Amino acid sequence: MANTWGYGAMTNSLGDIQNAKAIIIFGANPAVNHPVGFQHFLKAKERNNAQIIVVDPRFTKTAAKADIYAQIRPGTDIPFMYGMLNIIFKNGWEDKEFISDRVYGIEDIRVEAAKWTPEKVSDVTGISVEKLMQITRVYAKSTPGTLIWAMGLTQHSIGSSNTRLAPILQLCLGNMGEEGGGTNILRGHDNVQGATDMCCLSHTLPGYYGLSAGSWKYFAKSWGVDYEWLAGRFKDKKMMSAKGFTLARWYAGVLAGKPGEDKIHNGGTNLKAIFVMGNGITSIAQQAKVKEALDNLELIVLADPFVNEAAILTDKQDDVFILPAATQFETSGSVTATNRSAQWRYQVVEPLYESKPDHEIMIEFSKRLGFHKEYTKGMLIKENKTSYKFPEDATDEIARIIKTIGLTGWTSKRLKNHTDNWHMFDEVSLRGHGPMKGEYYGLPWPCWTETHGGSPILYNIHRTVKEGGMGFRNRFGLEHDGQDLLAGAGSAPKDSANKDGYPEITAKNIEKVLGIKLTTDEKKRIGKNWKVDTSHIIANKCMEAGIAPYGNAKARAKVWTFPDQIPMHREPIHSPRQDLAKKYPSYKDKANHYRVDTKYISKQTEKDWSKEFPINLVTGRLVNLNGAGMENRASKYLAALTPEMFCDINPGLAANHGIRNGDMMWVHSPEGTKIKVKAKFSFSVPEDRVFLPFHYAGHFQGEDLSHKYPEGTKPYAVGESANTVTNYGYDIVTQIPETKGGLCRVEKA
Amino acid sequence: MSSEMSRMKFYCDDDRCIECDGCTVACAEAHELPTGVSRRKVVTLNEGIEGKEFSTSVACMHCTDAPCEQVCPVDCFYIREDGIVLHDKDICIGCGYCLYACPFGAPQFPRDGAFGTKGAMDKCTMCAGGPQETNSVHERELYGQNLIAEGKVPVCAAMCSTKALIVGDAQDVANIYRARIASKGKGVQSAPYGWSKAYGN
Repeated sequence: MANTWGYGAMTNSLGDIQNAKAIIIFGANPAVNHPVGFQHFLKAKERNNAQIIVVDPRFTKTAAKADIYAQIRPGTDIPFMYGMLNIIFKNGWEDKEFISDRVYGIEDIRVEAAKWTPEKVSDVTGISVEKLMQITRVYAKSTPGTLIWAMGLTQHSIGSSNTRLAPILQLCLGNMGEEGGGTNILRGHDNVQGATDMCCLSHTLPGYYGLSAGSWKYFAKSWGVDYEWLAGRFKDKKMMSAKGFTLARWYAGVLAGKPGEDKIHNGGTNLKAIFVMGNGITSIAQQAKVKEALDNLELIVLADPFVNEAAILTDKQDDVFILPAATQFETSGSVTATNRSAQWRYQVVEPLYESKPDHEIMIEFSKRLGFHKEYTKGMLIKENKTSYKFPEDATDEIARIIKTIGLTGWTSKRLKNHTDNWHMFDEVSLRGHGPMKGEYYGLPWPCWTETHGGSPILYNIHRTVKEGGMGFRNRFGLEHDGQDLLAGAGSAPKDSANKDGYPEITAKNIEKVLGIKLTTDEKKRIGKNWKVDTSHIIANKCMEAGIAPYGNAKARAKVWTFPDQIPMHREPIHSPRQDLAKKYPSYKDKANHYRVDTKYISKQTEKDWSKEFPINLVTGRLVNLNGAGMENRASKYLAALTPEMFCDINPGLAANHGIRNGDMMWVHSPEGTKIKVKAKFSFSVPEDRVFLPFHYAGHFQGEDLSHKYPEGTKPYAVGESANTVTNYGYDIVTQIPETKGGLCRVEKA
Repeated sequence: MSSEMSRMKFYCDDDRCIECDGCTVACAEAHELPTGVSRRKVVTLNEGIEGKEFSTSVACMHCTDAPCEQVCPVDCFYIREDGIVLHDKDICIGCGYCLYACPFGAPQFPRDGAFGTKGAMDKCTMCAGGPQETNSVHERELYGQNLIAEGKVPVCAAMCSTKALIVGDAQDVANIYRARIASKGKGVQSAPYGWSKAYGN
């Protein structure tokens, strides 16, 4: 996404889905994962006659509300989408003007799409030619159409190609920057967007500034600390700019050196300690490896409102610490919704017993580890204060520093004002009225200045920049292969001083692009470019001229820095179709992928996995539980809805293995691991695949670990983790695990 | 609100119900029910079958001509002026006649005894408590919260994530549903509606 047009976030909003005429959903199940947000889908259907199309390996609750459903084979979204593009190009249904003005590299997509004839797509995906034609016609002809996805599209070894081809489909149909259009990626948990924006990631500083020395220096300056002091905290400056381990593969950092384990590049040492804050690491693929890694650590610290089941999974006896963290009701601050809107939350009750809010835990650590002054100084700078008030001053610090995604307008005062007046906003357009006129609810970023009203629909050129309009971001240079990467004439945001495409704004080009003259004083104060201009001169001048500070460029269908420049189909590492795995093989193995050597082709060709493990394995969520389920399974009534871990299995498949409804069954994985779960007959999965929910823990490979819970902390429901049997396989760019398309074998227990 | 009070009714719009179970959990949580007792249930038929699966939320329908009331041998039922069907647990003998009479399976019985069904019947009160003094400890212990007395919406409908479940005076329920039908295919309802207006529909 970010590599296609600048930002990797949901482009429109849940409410805006009501404006759609067609809604196509790939690998997402909003009826289960976003039940409240799903009302907007239903209203679009009711009021706007929107056609809902669901493409999913499983007949989900969302599919039950769809007009058309396609039961796709896991991991074949790329052939499906190329099949749609094939039909679109053949019939001339693409938006030619949009493509020529605003997209780079579609020619290569045309060539690849031409290869994916409906018949070929049908063989690979399992969707009939007629259904593919029907879906394509309905979707291409009912504009605006919005495209929805979630983890079902991303959690594949080719996830980063999936999430590029979906935007390309939208670009070809001219569905971007439109009300009722967009790529609406649904964030799965509360504040995931905020956590990502604030860099709960290993490859960047907050606000996606990256890890270059220049970025570190900008932050050092903004935090009021010495860059060399910061650098001194690292082994060396090379490690300071090196990507870290990911959540998916941190275990490799512990296990490296043992026979059969992947090699690591971690500054010459293995990982020795882990500090977990509110993360269900018992819901990460390769659970057996996670357990082994936990067992081999020197120190485990788990800060959670409930017992993090990592403490139950491990056999480690000493130096495992469980810190009681407060819940969201016991603290205050801003959270960021899936659509880039912020919302201020007020504290409901004081923290119970000994629990402390996350920030207090971190601040206390900083005191004991000796860097409290440096850690908190950023909160004092704006008003030159001597003491800070959390979280208001932290929020204002973020607003002061983060320009890349336009958080300048997110001051604590404004965010509180939105929460206090939330009844003054429209649910569809997010527009405010009365005293909130001119602002959109939660100031969806980019919110360029302290008076800007936010940008509810990214890349919308029908509005002025002041009203949230913008073109695509200029992020990938000015030209490639001799072709101009800036937007075509006439595709600038409404009332822009510059009607043509233009580069991102810097101190050097501001006068030329905006057609203005800076005073000598302004020239002295202005920052180098829009991302680091703390004087706000660039942002303010841009608003006056109707110019988006990040430029106005073309989106790109081709990413020349990726292993596949255009999205290409590659079979999952563990594919049930060996004939296709030979034709569409995985990538070459990748060295030092977030510090770990990662296997692709060598794993895929190690043997014919499908012989021993002929059944596709899909995992996902239940409506009553989320994540690793620690907090939900501790709720009596939520747990009562699904008191046991189960496996959705088609009665036909079950009968072939002598499994009856309610029997216990084993699910075996190519990893050599297994889980014992209850069979639940369901027609939502066909006979070649099974579904497992991933919210359970407390059992491991048939063994009940209940005795390991500290007294009074055992949840009402415990069970096997689905991720004990999910397969090896990681995305080539992001390293997200391939949990939505693996293999397994089932057996009566 | 219409000027004349008719009867309080539930309605579940099965085009909107997604089996999220928000209603059942909200109910159990609000009234602190034992786990075996489901005052409200979401029923899904033809699960996993394309074109046939649908869900709907069922509880006591607060019938005008309530069969439970007619068959009760000890006359523990009473129908309030607003149509809410309630019963007196202090009189109920737990015989189960009402369960056989009810077309919706609404009456619930505690399941913790050795021989299954026994003890006073429990059912949806439309969050209106029982015959005891309103909002007294005794009423709360036996029937859960009395939100109607506080002028609040029953928790199930308040929690409903897609506003499939509607509750209120039959006239109002009909008006909301009629507006929904009338707006079919008529386009998006955006500003000048605010959250409360648009969300409520």
